[in-house]
Amino acid sequence: MSKILVVDDSSTVRDEVAGFLKKNGLDVDTAVDGRDGLAKLKASPGIKLVISDVNMPNMDGLTMVEKIRGELANTSVNIIMLTTESSPAMKERGKAAGVKGWIVKPFKGDAVLETFRKLAG
Amino acid sequence: MISDNAKGSIDGIFRKAAQSRLVLAAGDTCEIAAIPTNDAGLIPEAQVVVLTISSILFRLMLMLQFDEGADTRDYFFAEGSASTVQEIFSEQANLCCGAMNQELLRYFPDLGMSTPYVLNAHCIAHLEDLKPAYLASYAVTVNQAARIKATVCVCTHAPLDFVADLSALEESCGELELF
Repeated sequence: MSKILVVDDSSTVRDEVAGFLKKNGLDVDTAVDGRDGLAKLKASPGIKLVISDVNMPNMDGLTMVEKIRGELANTSVNIIMLTTESSPAMKERGKAAGVKGWIVKPFKGDAVLETFRKLAG
Repeated sequence: MISDNAKGSIDGIFRKAAQSRLVLAAGDTCEIAAIPTNDAGLIPEAQVVVLTISSILFRLMLMLQFDEGADTRDYFFAEGSASTVQEIFSEQANLCCGAMNQELLRYFPDLGMSTPYVLNAHCIAHLEDLKPAYLASYAVTVNQAARIKATVCVCTHAPLDFVADLSALEESCGELELF
């Protein structure tokens, strides 16, 4: 079964997003920052979708995306940013790095569940 | 220096952000009343969650003191949550500041927003030392139970004048924008 990785330094957001996805039958792992997310993605080839915050300590979300595309060039993982950031410049940076989509918090699970299923499939 | 238009716009942007992000459900009530910044009696001895929005022209600080009493905890703390109260308050403040940031981006494209950090609320008494161009505090009451003291402090590096079109505020959060 394909897995979804939720990367956020806020335990509140990790609980909310991962809890919602698990409740809807999806297999989910979590990471506390970009460095942790990159390590878990390298260790788990079954991860097909990453949902990540942008502003995090140790390694921010967009740096993590750039490293995924650089160090795991063969991976086909889809990456969605879930963040309070909404600036066009930030979105452009994400797009250039290979981000598939952007969600401005707060998380509204029902609105994105089916798309997440497809991207994780 | 800050114009009256800019002051009114910042006030309106805060109120709109609070009404949409400091409530958990769409039908919840949110009352916002202006109060003196030095009114320490509303929520005494609390910690304060601080976020900053910075641009070339100004730095805005949003400071939220969540009442640590049962009514406020019960409102924000979901049963079974593994998060601490402080983590939940910090994320709520992050959402509120994020909404302000989203609105300010319409007028200032160079903004950067911090992550939340927690300070002792006594620091609010020293905000005047920063010689802010704008300083305002609010008592926020959600569902007539949960209480939050909010303070917005803006320090300018250049003249600041803009008019926020508050009628144009859109609820665009939560939607997936695919690239």
